[in-house]
Amino acid sequence: MSVVDLTIILTGIAKTTAPLLFAATGEYVAERAGTLNISIEAMMLAGAYFGMLGAEVGGSAAIGLPLGIFAGFVVAFVHANFSHRLAANTFVVGLTLDALLLGLTDYFVTAHQLAPHQIAQTRVPLLGAIPAVGPSIFDQAWPFYLLFAIVPLAWWLLERSQWGLEVRASGENPAAADATGVQVNKRRRQALYLCGALSGLGGAFLSLCEVGQFTEDMTAGIGFVVIAAVIFGGWTMRGTILGCLLFGAAQAMGLVLPALGRSLNGELLLALPYLAALGAMIFLAKSYRAPRALAQPFTRGVA
Amino acid sequence: MAIRIEPSVDGATGGPAAGATRSGGHAPAVELRGVTKRFGSVVACRNVSLSVERGEIHGLLGENGAGKSTLMKVLIGLIPADGGEVRLAGRPIVVKDPVHAAALGLAMAQQHFSLIERLKVWENVALAHRGKLSRRQAVRVVGEIGRRYGLEADPEARVEDLTVGQRQRVEVIKCLSLDPDVLILDEPTSVLSASESRELFGVLREVVLRDQRAVILISHKLDEILQATDRVTIMRDGSVVESMATSEADAHRLARAMVGRDVLLQAEMAAVGLRDEVLAAEESADPSPGAPASPGTARVATGRAPALRIVDVEVRAPDGRMLLDGLSLEVGHGEIVGVAGVEGNGQAAIGDLLSGLARVTRGRIEVDGEAIGATSPRALLAAGVGVIPEDRHRSGCVLQLSVAENLVVSDLGAFTSSKIFLDRKAILRRAVELIEAFDISTPSPTTPMSALSGGNQQRVVVARELARGPTCLVAVQPTRGLDVGAVEYMSEQLRKAAAAGVGILLVSTELDEILAIAHRIVVLYRGSIVGEMRRDEVNVERLGLLMGGRQA
Amino acid sequence: MSAVVTRLRGLLAAPPGEVEQSRAAAVGQLVLLYVLAIIVALLVTGALVEIVGGSLASVFSAIYTGSIGTFGAVGQTLDSAVPVLIVALGSLITVRAGMFNIGQTGQLLMGASVATLVALHLHGPGPLVLLATLAASVAGGAIWAGIGALLRLWRNIDVVISTLLLNYVAIQALGYAVSTQSILQEPTPPGGQAGGLPQSALIPASVRLPHPGQYPNFGVGLGLPIAVALVALFAVLLSRSPWGLRLRMVGANPVASRRFGVRVGLIAAGALILSGALAGFAGGVLLTGSVYRIQPGFDNNFGNDGLLCALVVRDQPWALLPVSFFFGMIRTGGSFLLSTGVPFYLAQVLEGLLVLAAVFPPVYLERREWARRLRAARALVLKAAA
Repeated sequence: MSVVDLTIILTGIAKTTAPLLFAATGEYVAERAGTLNISIEAMMLAGAYFGMLGAEVGGSAAIGLPLGIFAGFVVAFVHANFSHRLAANTFVVGLTLDALLLGLTDYFVTAHQLAPHQIAQTRVPLLGAIPAVGPSIFDQAWPFYLLFAIVPLAWWLLERSQWGLEVRASGENPAAADATGVQVNKRRRQALYLCGALSGLGGAFLSLCEVGQFTEDMTAGIGFVVIAAVIFGGWTMRGTILGCLLFGAAQAMGLVLPALGRSLNGELLLALPYLAALGAMIFLAKSYRAPRALAQPFTRGVA
Repeated sequence: MAIRIEPSVDGATGGPAAGATRSGGHAPAVELRGVTKRFGSVVACRNVSLSVERGEIHGLLGENGAGKSTLMKVLIGLIPADGGEVRLAGRPIVVKDPVHAAALGLAMAQQHFSLIERLKVWENVALAHRGKLSRRQAVRVVGEIGRRYGLEADPEARVEDLTVGQRQRVEVIKCLSLDPDVLILDEPTSVLSASESRELFGVLREVVLRDQRAVILISHKLDEILQATDRVTIMRDGSVVESMATSEADAHRLARAMVGRDVLLQAEMAAVGLRDEVLAAEESADPSPGAPASPGTARVATGRAPALRIVDVEVRAPDGRMLLDGLSLEVGHGEIVGVAGVEGNGQAAIGDLLSGLARVTRGRIEVDGEAIGATSPRALLAAGVGVIPEDRHRSGCVLQLSVAENLVVSDLGAFTSSKIFLDRKAILRRAVELIEAFDISTPSPTTPMSALSGGNQQRVVVARELARGPTCLVAVQPTRGLDVGAVEYMSEQLRKAAAAGVGILLVSTELDEILAIAHRIVVLYRGSIVGEMRRDEVNVERLGLLMGGRQA
Repeated sequence: MSAVVTRLRGLLAAPPGEVEQSRAAAVGQLVLLYVLAIIVALLVTGALVEIVGGSLASVFSAIYTGSIGTFGAVGQTLDSAVPVLIVALGSLITVRAGMFNIGQTGQLLMGASVATLVALHLHGPGPLVLLATLAASVAGGAIWAGIGALLRLWRNIDVVISTLLLNYVAIQALGYAVSTQSILQEPTPPGGQAGGLPQSALIPASVRLPHPGQYPNFGVGLGLPIAVALVALFAVLLSRSPWGLRLRMVGANPVASRRFGVRVGLIAAGALILSGALAGFAGGVLLTGSVYRIQPGFDNNFGNDGLLCALVVRDQPWALLPVSFFFGMIRTGGSFLLSTGVPFYLAQVLEGLLVLAAVFPPVYLERREWARRLRAARALVLKAAA
């Protein structure tokens, strides 16, 4: 395999993994807080659409990003308050939001086609010159580089800060945390807000940096692959990154193989990330420990 | 019932300073005046007044349901009060939440610990400090407190790896790290061995003397109160009944105040911790016919296979930890065997084992001489094994179902007419029968189980298990959290069942409960039986040693 | 305006102190909240319509006409409600058992695919082939759900994730099948271009579900009475049979259920497979009742609609009937939207908003009433534990 081929492969993987990783970082925090958030699809779609909208309205692709982040946050706001302030069933709310956002974004984009925008690639000096790795990882649209800051920051936030300590406590033993004075549902909502913002960023990255356009249902279930990545990764940051790389690679094959002049059955390629996620959970999942109170709603309840 | 409040509520120590007025002398460390708390139509605390001095260990005594924990939860800000006031060092305050309470100098060590298992000891301590403790500081604090009061704990250990006794220590450390003026302990010795309890009391004495703090010790056990406290306040049915210096109190006086009448029945004495009385009673020394004459005697004596026989059973937790390590014991027909031990040595696992919920990696179970598949709940049920589990909400009943459904749920086949439909009428009939026979208090048979009180839920469990006519019955901590009346009921049921020939295995951390009704006592330590003695030759000290893991 | 808000606030306020709210008052508040929530949903929809330049009035008139405006429309709505109803029934069963099966789309597609195979290749008398086709759809959906059940039993993989991922696999599998001549793609007519449309051939007329009672402009397929019969069957089974009780037990407390001799794994897997079977059956009904061929997008979002329908209904099987009819209304009404210039997707948005509006009131009141009832319940427990 030539360096050029390797570059193509790595570039493809980097592109597909990035949106996954943004969202997965958020979901990692959210699940450690004890919430199983299945509205990532909604958050990413919102980010993707409103990112493009922002670019159109604002005139430049860069303006779209904050709007996309905000859109993801709004979805999270609705979800969090229905689920962890009002005690609605979080699956119901999540699924409804997924359907709602899908319809909403399809609706808007049908009514008014958005002009394509794409954030140009920026090459990092020095690092960008490394063969194979350079052009693929260090020659991406600038939001890509945010990953290098966001991922470690999220890890530090969860594992080393007081906020993270309270979040983890809320996910392991909400009753004990509550007795110690931790505001469990508030932390869970905050974790979801963070997840929403990051997923929105991931979605915006998808439309603004990767595709350059918003198409109907452009996330196509990626939000659920993200959940699989966190589970597969055993709820650790390292594992989550690995999971995203794995599924991103599977997805990238769809882009990469044709570029390499090889082809594989179209549908099989499209199904690959989902199959990979299933396979990973079946065969490679180690003895992971889920947060003890995952997907268990908490209400300041009976002793 | 008249509420007798000490006339000199402040400054009333056992010493000569009685009657010191507010203006001149020191104010009590904490004072509750006329605190009332209602839950709907139920009054949990009625006009309660309590006063605790600095340098004093104050006992709050009362049976389960008297309102002690509720009162303390009001004090600590977990529950808002409906009336009355709280004063700290003479100043009236309103406690908003536990964090605020900590800032004011009030800390409470919860009965069911407020620790996060997956986190480390230092993290749990840091959690209570809302961000003001860094990792280094938290570790240092743990070490300091450990040295100062004799509460050793490894800051880097994960709580889930600690024994129950060690977790208790961490809970206390967490409280002390907040530097409270008032430290509240809620039934701390329910999970400790005798020696650990003594250690704890030593620590508490150190805490009050050294730093002139105040300690409130909540308990329902008389001997503890007599042993460890300076003053005691007794509560009953939500009100304060009496308050006195411990030196002036004696067991019977306290028991009478606690229960409201003279305590005569053995089970009740056990429930209130009148250990000596329980030991002295001759009642339970008589096993019913069919039970073995002396420990270890082969069934040869009666010619009948034991009701229950557990042979060298090994049970592991899902993560591989050993819960039962080669457990072997026997229960004869009509015999009550008590399994004594400190919390955390495998009690719950025994319940799971006989429910068919445990992961058995070795050994076998025999009922009436026949080997039964230990991992098949259906086989165990069919063989006539009844279980009153430790956590009835987990494996004893289904809260969302009705009382009637919970009463028949292990025998659905018998209530199915024409193989497809449930015979609702038959179920109701049966339910009414059992409700009557077992004196269950419920608005109707179709009331959801969740609406019943804890005591009545337990009665439903008992009714269901006994009504099946089991060969043997395992009761794990059956009276935990029940008031004295309910305790008496449970003992009565178990005794009746034994008299009818059922082999009873009573697993409890309350030694008194076992001493009250068991014919034979075995000691559980680290998942296996380490000792055995008959009731009439019981030696409490030896039991204590065995329970603590030492040879006796 | 503020006067209205104040008045509303008063109507919705909780009674002071610990007073138990009267039954009538509670129901009244619930209804009021529903009305308010639906109004909000409609207002949001209106705003969306305005943004796109349409008029809310014409939108609602279109929806009305399209769904129940004419006899023919009602018939169509009923026909549209049937797949939703069947899928929702299956979802309700799994929710009873404490699981969330989100894989209805995949199960529906798989069921329909297998059914198409049978319909196209099995030879015999029409009605028999029809029966076999429907049976095949049941089997297809059941097997696809069975994969999820297997993964749960074998590797403890959450049903939510596995069924969901399998959806996407199913979609791709279908796409592959209808593009490959040897599997499902309709054979290219002689003389036509190679590589034809990605769709299957039409199933023979004899294998289609009859439309009994052809009134002028009102044709409802046989699917409707079958669906209603299924609802009746399961409503009875769920409330009166030991299986129904066991299902509830497993959903409420799997540990205790095991203790009482209930085969929890079997019951849970069975519920999942059953719901897959029903979703597949819905696919079969779609195939033989209205669409007559299979192609990508065959599921037409029926899987999700069925799931949402069940989530709104929560527990009462009979309530599935009106709610699924309502979902059908949105669907047929929505198809009329094209005439108003508003994108069809509005129907889906309206649906989502209405589901949220339906979820909100009970949850809001529950939270408040819960707080009060909680205190009473706590009294009992704290009394026992204190």
